[in-house]
Amino acid sequence: MRLYDGAIGQSYQVVDLGLEDNITRRLESLGINEGTRVEIFNKKRNGAVIIKVRGTRWAIGKQVAKGIDVKEIAQ
Amino acid sequence: MKDQISVAFVGNPNCGKTTLFNAYTGANLKVANWPGVTVEKKEGSATYKGSKLKLIDLPGIYSLTSYSIEEKVSRQCIMSDDVDVIINIVDASSMERNLYLTMQLLELRKPVILALNMMDIVEERGMELDLHRLPEMLGGIPVVPVSARKRTGLDVLLHAVIHHYQEGPAEHVVTYDDNIEDKIAKLEVVIKARYPDAANLRWHAIKLLEYDEEVMKHHPVDVTAIIDRNYEKDIINQKYDYIEEVIEDCLFYKKEKLASTDRIDEVLTHRIWGIPIFLGIMALVFFLTFTVGDFLKGGFEVALGWFSVTVSNLLSGLHAAGWMNSLIVDGIIAGVGGILTFLPNIFILFLALAILEDSGYMARVAYVMDGIMGKAGLSGKAFLPMILGFGCTVPAVMATRALEHEGDRKKTILVTPFMSCSARLPIYVLFADIFFEDYAMLAAFSLYVIGVVLAILIALLSNRIFKGKSSNSLLIELPEYKSPNARTIAVYVWEKVKDYLSKAGTTIFIASIVIWFVLNFGTTGMVSDISMSFGASIGRFLVPVLAPAGLGLWQIGVALISGLSAKEVVVSSFAVLFGISNVNSAAGMMQMSEALGAYGFGPLNAYALMIFCLLYTPCMATIATIRKETNSTRWTIGMVIFQLLIAWIGAVLVYQIGSLFM
Repeated sequence: MRLYDGAIGQSYQVVDLGLEDNITRRLESLGINEGTRVEIFNKKRNGAVIIKVRGTRWAIGKQVAKGIDVKEIAQ
Repeated sequence: MKDQISVAFVGNPNCGKTTLFNAYTGANLKVANWPGVTVEKKEGSATYKGSKLKLIDLPGIYSLTSYSIEEKVSRQCIMSDDVDVIINIVDASSMERNLYLTMQLLELRKPVILALNMMDIVEERGMELDLHRLPEMLGGIPVVPVSARKRTGLDVLLHAVIHHYQEGPAEHVVTYDDNIEDKIAKLEVVIKARYPDAANLRWHAIKLLEYDEEVMKHHPVDVTAIIDRNYEKDIINQKYDYIEEVIEDCLFYKKEKLASTDRIDEVLTHRIWGIPIFLGIMALVFFLTFTVGDFLKGGFEVALGWFSVTVSNLLSGLHAAGWMNSLIVDGIIAGVGGILTFLPNIFILFLALAILEDSGYMARVAYVMDGIMGKAGLSGKAFLPMILGFGCTVPAVMATRALEHEGDRKKTILVTPFMSCSARLPIYVLFADIFFEDYAMLAAFSLYVIGVVLAILIALLSNRIFKGKSSNSLLIELPEYKSPNARTIAVYVWEKVKDYLSKAGTTIFIASIVIWFVLNFGTTGMVSDISMSFGASIGRFLVPVLAPAGLGLWQIGVALISGLSAKEVVVSSFAVLFGISNVNSAAGMMQMSEALGAYGFGPLNAYALMIFCLLYTPCMATIATIRKETNSTRWTIGMVIFQLLIAWIGAVLVYQIGSLFM
């Protein structure tokens, strides 16, 4: 599944980053890599999400959220 | 010892670099609580125990790769030989992310000193940092806890700079997997052979493995035999693996508390209420600007009236020439003084903006507005410069540097001038008060709304026409909310008030004299009837063009032309044109209303005038800034023509459609 399809309050693990190279590298240098734990804090109808990664909150646009493949972490 | 040590402040956006820089240098550079406030490199100096230091404040960066303009500025500066020591400022409450840049800096093998900022938040959250283990794991570099805001630890930090300015990390900190380390070793040999003077072989080798464009371009080496693919991803991941070890070893959670920021965000970034709340906040800002500002204004008017009469009496008492009296009282005092009476409104506007910027809400606006901006092919981040545009267009245009794509940047620069800046405020306050009485605030507020809506529409349209690649890739850090800092706010507002006063003393002062001159002199020398003056001749030239907008008076032509120097000058021009000494007072307004009324100038004309002022080219300073930021004279000229055209069309539409109903 994609981060875009995730639910508020749920934690996920990043499986793959399928974005343009430069955005992928940018995400990686921000610490969003394969295996990283991501928690969805908030979400809008148009798909922008607020996530928490490594103790930092990020607002991420729809296109980016669609390009991040994740899997659910059992809580 | 060198006679001057140059020290660069490097760190993630919004970690407190500029606050620290201000604390050392006594500078008053802008500080706020959102990522990307600093877009330019700034230098200052300090001395510590007889040693001279050159301090360099840099835009915040997340990594040493170069995606946006700010990152390029910072990277170039850090890499240059001009920097002797790097002070890496780290937000201790976000250690894990901040340390990634630290790992890259350590690979440069330059002297790095870690300044741990925001330790108070760490304590508040119930976390504890092992300050002995941390330096050990960072190659033995000095680690100094500081508080940029409370100004503690500052001396210790400079002490560390003086004593360690020649020492880099003892050895490399991150060891990669065997395959990569093997390639690094091989590459080091090749690089050494090709560039015998290369200072940092390991760094060079790592950058080659990451396919770094600049390194490959400026120091090419033939390495096809060693490098089979791009290892950037592996290198990043392994750096983070090491950081996780550091965090595990050095950071302890005594008890985890739910940050209050998350609770505030549940409301402010709500999926439905987010936008209405934002609009409400902006409405409140302008409501306060008009009501509180008007409330404070009274005192200024009385003082100005008294001053004007006293000076006039004094000059007559001294038997000064009539023209001298006229220049000083009708020219300078009317022009400059009239503008000064708007200071309370300006003050309240900037106070409100300062609080907004320092609270941490700005970054949330990028999220809230992302959907609407997305339809215009922009990310929500492009809305931040637009909000700054409510204050002043010049820094707003510069703030677009934080946008990653050149196309996004140009588009944002194109629409930012439509956001109504503080210089346009006096025009609204004055004309709305004169012609709309009880509905004055509504009339003024409508102009702000029209500006925003038009800006978004134009972005939308240009997106349709130019079919640019829609990037729409919002990626912005949301900082912790904090209660605004009194000192930060005071400095911010004082800087803006100072700008306003110095503009009154320079641009507006000179413009007032020039206007007085062109109105009092004609081809025959000094004229007693201003309709014979140079000014009238120039203004008449514009009458046919402005007539369809209900602005067909030569006086308005003069005011609009002079308004190009600064928008406030439109108001001072009216004051000088109609010889009104205290334009913002009840008597002054009455005088103006009568003078204009004699030409059949009513509320509809006034509204068309305000629309024109909202939309046409803000000022010379904006034009110069846009020229500098886009680096294209053609583009800049095109934009000015576009703005004049939009302003004319807007004013004509208002007047013509309005005439049908009135």
